[in-house]
Amino acid sequence: MKKLNPNVSLMLFAAPALIVYGLFKLLPAVLGLFYSTTDWNGLNKTYNFIGVSNFIEIIGDQYFWNSVLFTLKYVIVMVIVANVIALFLATMIESINRGKGLFRTVFYMPNMISMIIGGYMWMFIVTKVLYYMADNWGLTFLDQSWIGDPRYAFIAIIVVASWGSVGYLMIIYMAALQGVPTSLKEAAYLDGASGWQTFWAVILPMIRHAVTICVFWTLNSSFQVFDVIYSLTGGGPGRATQSTALNIYEEAFKGNIRYGYATAKSTVLFVIVLIITIIQLRIMSKKEQEA
Amino acid sequence: MRKKKIIFNIFVYTFLCIAAIFCLLPLWMALVNSFKTNGEMLTNVMSWPSRLRFENYVRTFDKMNYMRSLFNTIFLSTLSVSVMVVFSALAGWKLCRTKTKLSSFILALFIFSMLIPFSSIMIPLYKLVLILKIKNSLIGLSFIYAGMGVSMAIFLYHGFVKSIPIELEEAAAIDGCNAFQTFFYVVFPMLKPITVTIVITNILWIWNDFLLPLIIISDNKKYTLLLSTNTLFGQYSSDWTAILSALILAALPVIVFYSIFQKNILKGISDGALKG
Amino acid sequence: MKKFLALSLVICMVFLTVACAKEPVAEAIATPEQPREAELNIMMSIPQFMDQWDTYVQQFEAKMLAEENIKVKVNLEMPSSDQYESVLQARLTSDDAPDLFTLHSNNIGTYNKAGYLTDLSNEPLAAKIYENVKATVSVDGKLLGVPIESQAWGVLYNKDIFEKLDLEAPKTLSELKNIVNILKENDYTPFMLAYQEQWVPQLMTALTLGGKVSGDVPDWVDRMNNNEGSYSEVSDIFGPIDLIMENGTIRAMEVGSEAGAADFANGKAAMFVQGTWASGTIMATNPDMKLGVFALPVNENEDCTSVNLSTSTTLAVHPDAKEMELARMFANYVLDDQDSAALFQACSFNPLATSHTYQPASWVADASSFVAAGKSYKDLVLPSAVTDEQGKLLQEYYVKTITKEDFITRMDEVYKNSNK
Repeated sequence: MKKLNPNVSLMLFAAPALIVYGLFKLLPAVLGLFYSTTDWNGLNKTYNFIGVSNFIEIIGDQYFWNSVLFTLKYVIVMVIVANVIALFLATMIESINRGKGLFRTVFYMPNMISMIIGGYMWMFIVTKVLYYMADNWGLTFLDQSWIGDPRYAFIAIIVVASWGSVGYLMIIYMAALQGVPTSLKEAAYLDGASGWQTFWAVILPMIRHAVTICVFWTLNSSFQVFDVIYSLTGGGPGRATQSTALNIYEEAFKGNIRYGYATAKSTVLFVIVLIITIIQLRIMSKKEQEA
Repeated sequence: MRKKKIIFNIFVYTFLCIAAIFCLLPLWMALVNSFKTNGEMLTNVMSWPSRLRFENYVRTFDKMNYMRSLFNTIFLSTLSVSVMVVFSALAGWKLCRTKTKLSSFILALFIFSMLIPFSSIMIPLYKLVLILKIKNSLIGLSFIYAGMGVSMAIFLYHGFVKSIPIELEEAAAIDGCNAFQTFFYVVFPMLKPITVTIVITNILWIWNDFLLPLIIISDNKKYTLLLSTNTLFGQYSSDWTAILSALILAALPVIVFYSIFQKNILKGISDGALKG
Repeated sequence: MKKFLALSLVICMVFLTVACAKEPVAEAIATPEQPREAELNIMMSIPQFMDQWDTYVQQFEAKMLAEENIKVKVNLEMPSSDQYESVLQARLTSDDAPDLFTLHSNNIGTYNKAGYLTDLSNEPLAAKIYENVKATVSVDGKLLGVPIESQAWGVLYNKDIFEKLDLEAPKTLSELKNIVNILKENDYTPFMLAYQEQWVPQLMTALTLGGKVSGDVPDWVDRMNNNEGSYSEVSDIFGPIDLIMENGTIRAMEVGSEAGAADFANGKAAMFVQGTWASGTIMATNPDMKLGVFALPVNENEDCTSVNLSTSTTLAVHPDAKEMELARMFANYVLDDQDSAALFQACSFNPLATSHTYQPASWVADASSFVAAGKSYKDLVLPSAVTDEQGKLLQEYYVKTITKEDFITRMDEVYKNSNK
């Protein structure tokens, strides 16, 4: 039998995925890129080709850069908070003997619900239940302006977003933790290592790949954060909690409806995310190789 | 030593219970309040319903065309995920096993596209749908989902394949299996743990996705559960109890699905661990 | 075979004609041709009235079959109002436009320029619409849509509280201040604040700008459109805005429009800057509520104290509609002499055409009395980016992250940008 050229057989296997992906993701993205060089308002049948002037305008767009800053802040906090909580929960559940399945089901539950729906459920809690607790149970620390004060609104957003994403991360971490052979843990225990030491020195290196996946996933989804903020604060008060995705959405579908300009903005967002991700993957894969 | 273990356990269980309550709080509040009348809810959101009223559910069940929407959603998510899993397992495995420049390029292409914001492809995508004449087609929509989901799935498969030994595949090749046979009889079964994760996360994504079907499906006979729920949002905008009952109805199948599937995940993951 | 069919058809017809002579009921069956089949796609942004419109569409289908011998299948779509505009845009730009669709009357100019609206001036419906409403949906004398939800609105108030304290609707800002003081002395919260959604605080700018511009600076919008005006000319608007914000309910940013309407109905505050469209929620929460409407004063000039006339939902016909005739017939049917009144009443819309003979609700009559007295103005048509920005900045002004001066400079900038 003739041995196939590796690239040919690779293409054979990758073709189905490449076709659907190229057709439904790459092609529209390229078309979108094309629109970013036009002044199309998403409505008119005709539009003009205006080169890079959309991109030049972005440089001076204060609201856009504020939303980028907000998104960066959100991403950093989410990557840390969500992953620490998820890993912590996963380790805790793995350390107990009874009720593993139950806790896992419960913690994963929020992931099953659309963030739009979850967001509205939380809205109900934030605007009704918390104040009820504050007024009737004397829990006055809950009596904050959870939507109106930018600081508290940020906390509320982080809490709700973590609520919605920790379960997924936890599942990945648990899958990785179960892949750590018990014999290794026992060996560490016999060597007299404490729980923390075992975790840092034995377990963490073994699940480094899961950490890469989870951080990558959080990073990626946080940069596009939309649903939570949309349903909770709508980006308000004013623009205080406006993420970049929300800023782009508003540009494309609200107000002046500048679709060309909005796609130019999403191109910029894409480039920012790309750079950050490349850096992150470089660091992570280097560490993975070292370990 | 034993005492320390008990104290540790008490701490762990207490912590987990608090976290669990926090997780379930919104669902619980939605459930409790969906049995109340609107007036009852407005007076006290924390109270028990004075009696179990199913009126809200009866009303919304009918309005949502519940059974039809449920069927559509099941059909859509099953087909999308099947296509996605087969396509991306094939690609992910081969990409990992082939060490050429082309393979790194293709992998990079898949991964980078994960960062493309949906809002920037929405309108071009819609135009494409019209050209391909797959508007209002659940099958067409499945392939769109597959196209949008393969990159993450390939990324996960690629990572997982790295961790399984190549020897088995080599043995299969020596035994005379061609590449496709090797894949389906040797590799794919070993990918089960990550496949389970991929299936679950993607079913939930598609189940809960809203904007894409909203644009592509306009025929209400083909509405998904969330689209049907959405029409209720508008109709009952001032009636929270009805909306909450619709939210619970929309979430119920997933909760049931998950509680059944739970065992399979455990089994799948432990199987994978044993063989790895 | 064909001959046999034709023959039997003739026999049937003869038979039926004879039968008709005796029984006029059989007329409908006598129609010789098979009904033509047709489809009509309609997209609307008012899902809260899905039931009523479903019924109306069925009536239309029956009417078409009976009168025109057309078997119409109407596909009525109502996406949630949040998503409505993006869905509509995607459809319009992808040559997949619905035959009829709704839009806000302030967008008529933009959509008209893009060529998505049909001139309906020569349709029978044009003669039925009240003149002041017609003005809100016309551009250059061309009627470009069928008004559906149209209202005169100002500030909603609780008539029971006002009567109890012997208060009357204010004509100037100082009278309003006086009312606020009396309310506070009697332990009432003057204003309901519900600022969670940006469009609600925006209503304050809609009213104050409208009043100020119509009474004092009628050419302001024109000059703004030519980059020759400034918000500093209308800084009077902060008189009532400050008064409202300083004397309102707490936790305003956490209260949505629906919750605000319910709270207002339960007597939490005496006044609520909100349109009459909130009456549905208010009356459902408290059926005994006595609801009134007054015009919001802006300053001491009584000419500025008028109600706002606007048409928030308009049904337009797409010029490329496949079934143009049917689409026009549906547009006309919306204001049908026989059936329209029942529909508008069922949706509790305000009467806006001669075919609407029902008695409007008391608060509608309140607002209409301002219109009758000539104390009304047509809702200002500002670029929608400007309207959105006003809502955002008012939220920020309320949480005190910006000052009055910031508001004015930023609004001037945004207005200039949208003139580009």
